[in-house]
Order: sequence, then structure tokens, then C-alpha cells
Amino acid sequence: MRAFAYIRPASADEASAALRTGSARPMGGGTDLLTQLDRGIRPADSVVDLRGLGLDDIAPHEDGLAIGATVRVADLARDAAVAGGYAALASAASAAASPQLREMGTVGGNLCQQPRCWYFRHPDLQCWLRGGDTCYAQIGDHRKHGLEPGDCISVAPSDLSAPLLAMGARIETSERAAFPIAELYRRPSEDDRTTLTLGPGEFVTRVLLPAPPESSAYARAGERHAWSFALAGVAAARSGGVVSLAAIGVSNIPRLLDPEDPLAGLPGLEMTGWKRRLLAGLVDDALNAL
Amino acid sequence: MSPRLVKSEAVVEGRTEERWSLVEDDHTPEYPDGPSPAPIGVAAQRLTAHARLTGSARYTSDIQLPGMLQAAILRSPFANARLTAIDAAAARAVPGVRAVLTPADGFAPGGSAVLTDAPAYAGAPVAAVAADDRDALAAGLAALAPEYEELPFVAGIDEALGRQDFTADPSEYERGDPDAGMREAAASVSLELRAPAQMHNCMESHCAVAAWQGDELTTWISTQGMFAIQAELADAFDLDLERVRVICEYMGGGFGSKDQAGAEGLLAAGLARITSRPVSVVLSRREENLDAGYRAPAQFTLEVGAAADGTLTAIDASAVIGMGRGGWTPPALEPVKSVYRCANVRAAVLPVRQNIGSPRAFRAPGVMEGVWALENAIDELAAALDIDPLELRRRNHADGDQATGRPYSSKNLLACYDRAAELAGWADRDSLKADGGRIRRGMGCASQIWWGGGGPPAYAEARIGKDGRPVLSVGMQDLGTGTITACAIIAAERLGVPVEDVRVHAGDTRLAGHGPFSGGSMTLASMAPAVRAAAHEVREQLLALASDRFEIAAGDLTLEEGEIRSVDGTLREPLTEVTGKLANAWIRGGGSRGPNPSGIAVNTFGCQIAQVAVDTVTGMVTVERVVAVHDVGRIVNPMGARSQVMGGILQGIGFALTEERVVDPTTGTSVNPGLEDYKVPTIADLPEVVCEFVNVPDPRLPTGVRGLGEPPIVPTAGAIGNALAQALGVRLHEAPYTPRRVLEALGG
Repeated sequence: MRAFAYIRPASADEASAALRTGSARPMGGGTDLLTQLDRGIRPADSVVDLRGLGLDDIAPHEDGLAIGATVRVADLARDAAVAGGYAALASAASAAASPQLREMGTVGGNLCQQPRCWYFRHPDLQCWLRGGDTCYAQIGDHRKHGLEPGDCISVAPSDLSAPLLAMGARIETSERAAFPIAELYRRPSEDDRTTLTLGPGEFVTRVLLPAPPESSAYARAGERHAWSFALAGVAAARSGGVVSLAAIGVSNIPRLLDPEDPLAGLPGLEMTGWKRRLLAGLVDDALNAL
Repeated sequence: MSPRLVKSEAVVEGRTEERWSLVEDDHTPEYPDGPSPAPIGVAAQRLTAHARLTGSARYTSDIQLPGMLQAAILRSPFANARLTAIDAAAARAVPGVRAVLTPADGFAPGGSAVLTDAPAYAGAPVAAVAADDRDALAAGLAALAPEYEELPFVAGIDEALGRQDFTADPSEYERGDPDAGMREAAASVSLELRAPAQMHNCMESHCAVAAWQGDELTTWISTQGMFAIQAELADAFDLDLERVRVICEYMGGGFGSKDQAGAEGLLAAGLARITSRPVSVVLSRREENLDAGYRAPAQFTLEVGAAADGTLTAIDASAVIGMGRGGWTPPALEPVKSVYRCANVRAAVLPVRQNIGSPRAFRAPGVMEGVWALENAIDELAAALDIDPLELRRRNHADGDQATGRPYSSKNLLACYDRAAELAGWADRDSLKADGGRIRRGMGCASQIWWGGGGPPAYAEARIGKDGRPVLSVGMQDLGTGTITACAIIAAERLGVPVEDVRVHAGDTRLAGHGPFSGGSMTLASMAPAVRAAAHEVREQLLALASDRFEIAAGDLTLEEGEIRSVDGTLREPLTEVTGKLANAWIRGGGSRGPNPSGIAVNTFGCQIAQVAVDTVTGMVTVERVVAVHDVGRIVNPMGARSQVMGGILQGIGFALTEERVVDPTTGTSVNPGLEDYKVPTIADLPEVVCEFVNVPDPRLPTGVRGLGEPPIVPTAGAIGNALAQALGVRLHEAPYTPRRVLEALGG
């Protein structure tokens, strides 16, 4: 691992300034960042720890809740207000990663984690998403990749993002007032190989939840009973009689699904056809749990 | 004592080795008939538990020596390449770098080059750097700036087979007339099955620390065979054996992969000699997955025929084994030859070469995956014949070793079947079956065969001094299986002391005479008689001294609970009443392992029954329960034995459900060389395990002990495969049974 500077700013302004310097990267629990740095993926000369900014509260906000970006995933899973009003979110928080990782990982870090594609994470390969010419997954082994053709077929990994998207959560950043969580994510393009819309110096500060839905649920499939990224995850929420569905694990970005035709636009790739069956089953599962 | 030089045979993971060993006459009485005398057979916590749990246990990577350097290996990122440039001078110029080795330096201890300029697999060692600390090391490695010319490579087994490039000559075993047997068959099945490359992923990676004092080399290394490493290092550095000391006090798993000094051991010693400083080499998790061995993947083709009553008439099997760069070909078709009675058998093994690192032995190498394949076929046959799968196995029970015609020393497999069926509720297994709902359940069984008879040479020394606490020195390392505790139990029985009062010294080539490699399930079967003999010799002397002291005939005295007692109950004195008079003298005893009787086959047997639940939405297979009944001779420590069974089953579950190295077809490199993507089971994946032992001492072996390290992993995956087939009504032909494969089988 290349040496890097560790910076723990005391204010959001200091943090933004530090993040604008060189190849600085923001850090929550570091559970994803450190493995990236260890493999030389998007290397950084400094790491800016956001855990000193007082963003570690879950508090009432308007009709809903405001969740600080550095709230730990385990604390989110344990929170009574979250469990009481936002079952899908509590469920996703308790299913993500492993107990140890949940105790370290933060909400902001979970939402902003990089794709888990094993080519993207390969220290000796520079894939398209990392600025190279080739999406190795498309010509190689993409058994766990997406259902949607594109320049990059990696999938959105954040369990938390699915219920937040289905429930209409908004994101606040150090630079921007609250905006819909869908706008935190972007499809990587030829000119900009990132999956997040965060600009220089910008970091997530809070997640704002609207009033609790009447009902919500999260269904996910993993590869073993603990510590497995979701092969796919589907969140369903019903508010005012309207049902929203969102999925991860099937597309570059957390994706809203049409409850009438959830597989629309997700034809599957050579090795991922099985995920269509999985997704359809998880959609039923989530809807049945509402 | 009149030592004799004897030649004996030992079967190690399917290889029959002839060995000369020096054994002493052993007058130790055998155990009485009936239940084992306590503390043999009484559950005992492992003596090292506290040290392991509190972190005071010192593993190889914990060793810190004054002035010690850190070293690491630069490895090829390419599946096949030629090194065209490397900047050793730049690396040497990095502050803190103390030594750099590249292929040009010709580092070839023992005659074979450790570093190569023609790396033929991703992960092949190209260069090595030793430095003061990790930062200097990383800078030194970066400064090497290697350049490669990429070359074509072969990664897939099919492609390798197409090229007919073999790492050893293909072999074909035949007995009887398989073609005629197949013609006679009333029913036959034909299956093709693919077994994955399973990685060891020991929690403790391969590591070594080496230090020279003059021309004496001390190496701390995580190893299953300290004497083998001693010999390898002595040969590599041209030293007398006694000038090489190998220490392995604690280890965090080996599973067969720690059977050689490896690049880490040779480079630690070599760099330590060059720098005159101690050197530590600890492989990363990634290196562990690229260049530290694996269970060789195999593609099986099996055709099995039987008469209408289920009697097997023929087995025709082949296995194409992905051997990477080569090495020992695992006995993947041994189960086809030996598990069931069948007069007509053909077994062809084709070990193919690929641009991948080499496999190494992995807990029941060959046999575990071979049993998995065979047991899938036997269940298919049972369905074709409409015979209960367990009943079909009973009907084809093999009474002796069919390849050699030798009788088994002891075999209680039928008792295993009966007890496992009872514990699992086998008779009602059809009631588990689907009602067409989301969760479908099934139950399947599989048989176990393995060796595990042990043999010479194995030596133990016992002594007792004034404090009355026995000390045992054994020439073995504890792989983590609890053999140290088992040895203490065996000595404690002879000396009448609590198990925890026995201090066991192990894991150091200087401590005692040669002991066994911790492999082939032979450690305890080899050590137990030596330990018992050594402790018995001490006992005899203690009783003689006590006889003088208390004026009671030695034959009327016994040792129990730390006391010397007369059989009539009139005398009860603490052991220290005798040993306390010793001042600084010791009572000593020695023991050695004698050979097993010739002309017999020594094997272990067992049966496991697995119950699985399949979620047809997520494709997730959950093993709910495994019943394991094994026949491994006398059980010394039921707690340790149970723990071996749990571990074997969990590792078998890994093979069956989650573990699989994935090699990228485009680049020939592994895409899951770490614990995030290569999924070993977690504790949450452990099912309820119901574990019993037949516990019949082997009448032909001293102490009656056979091995247990490997047996429990052997049948697990086969039982799971069969349970899954019952649950789904369709058989999966490739392991692991991941959600993807399950959903694809369901028509996804």
C-alpha cells in the first residue's frame, strides 16, 4: 500500500478544503476505501476522515428523519425510529456486509462505495471504469454482473440505497441542498468514469427521510448467510397507496423498477440471465411483505 | 531395550511409502477390552485453548527478532510471460532496502530456481526484496519496475486437455472386464461432473522467519512437517541436518498446503544469509490465493451399472484433473476403486497442464472430490433401480480392499449406516419433500473412505521430576487438530495425573526424535503408541520407587488422580511423596512407534447424512443438519474429535456451496483471490451437526487409534449434492451449488 496522509478535519469547510487538495478521498469507516488503496484502485495521497464533523446523529426532521452520513450502519440497524417507520431500511442495514463491517462502516460510505466488480477491484487490471479501454467483465466472467448492457456492466452494491430510493429519500451534501437520492448516482460515461455525482470537495452530509411509508420491505439474495454482497436486492415501499420498487445488483446505479413490469429494460447478459428469475422472485417477495 | 531396524509400509494420502525405521521392543500392555480407561475417551478442552484465545500463543508471524528485516516477493501479473527488464539497481538504491534478488542472481538453493524470468502463471515469483520496514519494502518493490512480454497461455481444463499436455502420464487402472460388466447391467447411469478448485485459505497465511548464527539456521515456519522442512533447508543450503532447526509452535491451519519450505521459507533463509539479519516473509491473502496451492479442479465422467438387485456390475470412470504447473496427482479415482464392491472397474486419470500455480494436498486430496462424484452417480443409480440409496450402499459393501485383495484391519461401515440413518430420520426422508412451495427440502447420504493408519517413525520422550508434573516431548507439530492435547491424554492415563498437569513440548526439531508429518490423518495414529510407551516406562519406574518407599509390591500399586494408591485402598499418597525425593533427578522414559502388521489394509470409514433446504426464490441452499457417524478406531478426546468433524463438515460445505476459484478466460488470472470474493463458509453457515463415532478400537493397531483429520470432509459434499437432488428433483452437475446454478437448474 502506498503511504498516504490521514486528515481528520473538525469542520465541514476544513473537510471540503482538504478534499480539494491533490488526490484526497473522503473516509467514513474506511472498510471499502482501505481495500481500494491496498490494491491501488484510485490511489490517494491523503484520506480525509469525516467522523469528526458531528454527522453521527439520527434525528427527527420535518415529517421524517435526518440520518448523519457518519452514522454507523450497525447503529442504523439498531435505531428504534428507523425500525419503527422504515422497516426496509432497517432490514437492509442489518443484512449488509458482516457484523464487524457494519460496526465500522458508515451510511455515507455505504451509499458511496465503489462497485464490487472483480475486474474493477483487480490490482493488475485497469478496466474501463478505472480509465482503461476494456470492460473485462463483458469479455470475461460476468456471472454476478448486471442485467443491462452498457460500457460497464458492474452493479450498484449499496444495500441501503435501494430502500432509500424506494422511499423517496433525499441527500444533502457539503455543497448542495437536499436533492433526490437518484441524483447522487450517475451512469459512468466515456468522459467521466464515475458512478457518483459528487464534485470536487463534495461529500454526503445527511440522508433525509420523508414521512414513514405505510409499509416497506427489503428482499435480498446473497451467496452465504453472512458477509455477502447482494446478488440482487429489492426494496418496496407503499405511500398513499402508491407502491415504489427499487433494486440494486442489476444495473450500474440503484434503479427504480416499474411495479407493472419490473424486468423492463433488464434483458440480461450472456452469463446473467439467471438474475432475471432472481429479480422477479425478489420483487414478489418484497411486494408480498408490504 | 533392543532396537531393531524394520521396514514397513505406510499409506500417505494414497501413496504407499516404504520406510526403514528403528523401533524398540515395546512391552507396554495394550488397553483392556471394553471402554477406554479414563481419561482416554473423556472430553478434554485443548491445552492450548487459553493461549490461543488470549493471544499469548506465538504464531510464526508474531516472531520479532532484533534487527529483523521484512521481505516480500514480486510476482508476475501475467499468466504467461517473459521478463524483459527489471531494475534491481533502482530497488537497491531505495533507502532501507537491504537486499534484492532477481532471476539474474541465480538464487537456486538445492538446485531449483526460486525466482524466474519466465513466469508461467500469475503469481509466479520473479524477484524478492528485504528491507528495514514495510514502507521501504513497498518502495523497493515499486522501484523494480518490471517489464514483461506477454505470451499465450492455457487456463481452461478443456483447452488443456485438447492440447494433450499432461503433467504426468495419464494412467488407467482396470480390474475385471468393465465392458462386459456394463453389458450385464440391468440399469446404468452416466454422469459428467465438475469439481471446482478449492483454495485452502488458511487463516494464517504461509510465512517464515529465518535467522542464522554462523552456519546454523533457525527457521520459524508455519508447517505441517517440521522434519521435512529441516531436510529441505539442509539440502538447499548444504548444511548438516543438525545445523538446521525448525520451529512451529502454533499454526493457524494448513490443510495440506504447508508441506514444503516454499518460496517464503527459502527466501527468508536466503535473504537472511545475504544480509546477516533475521528475515521475515509473510504472504498476503492475495499471494495465498495465487501461489500456495489448491484442491485441483476435476472433470469426472462416470458410468455405473448394476444388476436389478443393485449389485454393481461395472464402474467406468475418468477424471481430467487441472494440475496447473504440475505436481503430485491427487488420487481422485481411488474412491471408484475402493468404496463399493465391484469386480469390473476402469479408472482413467488425465492430469493436464495449465498456466496456473500448482495444486497442493488439501484435506483428503482427490478422495473428497472423488467421493463427491461417485456418490452422485450411486444416487442416480439408486433412482434408476428404485432402491433406497442407503440400502443400495449396504448391498455393495466392500469387505476388503479390492485393489490389493487385503482384508481391512477393522471396518464398521454398516454400523455407521445404521446409526446415521437412525439419527437422521432417514426412513421418513420422503416426508421432507416439497409440497411445491418456496422452500424445498431433501436428505442425502454419502459414504466415507480414507486411510489413516499411521506408522513409524515416531518418537516420544517422557520425564517426571520433583514437582510430579510429567513432561512429554514429541517430534511433531500440532497442525491445529489438537494432537498435543491427545498426547497429553494418553500420557495422563499411564501416569494417573490430570490431563492439564501434563506439559507437552512439540513443534521444535530439537526437542525429540523424528515424528510424523501432520497429514494423511496419521499424526495421532503414529504418535499415540510412542507416547503411551514412553509414559508407561516412567510409570513402571515410579511404581518401583513407590514400592521401595511404601514397602508395598509394585504390582499392588497404581497411579490415579495424582496419587499413588494401593489396590486394596489402604495407601493414598500424593505422587510428590515419591517424586519429591528426586531433588534434581528425573525419571525418564522413551517410546517409539512400531510398524503396522503387514498384509492388511488400514482405512477409516463413515457415513454422513445431510438435510438441506433450498430457497427457490433466492437460489440459496442451506444445510440444516448433518449427521456424521465415523469409524476411526479408538476415540481419545471426544471434544477434539467432534471439533475435527465440525471443521471437516464446514469445509465440505464450502466446497459444496460457495468456494470456487474463478480464473478469467481473457487474462488467465484469478479474479477472486481474496476472502471478499472467494467465499469460505462463515459460522452462520454451520448447520446443526450430530456427531457420533463407532469407537471400536482397531484390533490390529497399537492403541487402536486411527486418524480423523481428513475423514469428516470426505462425504459432506456428496451428501449435500444428493440431498439437493432430492429436494429439487434435478441433479446439479457442477459444484459449488451457488444461487446461480440452482436458479439455472430451476429453469432461470
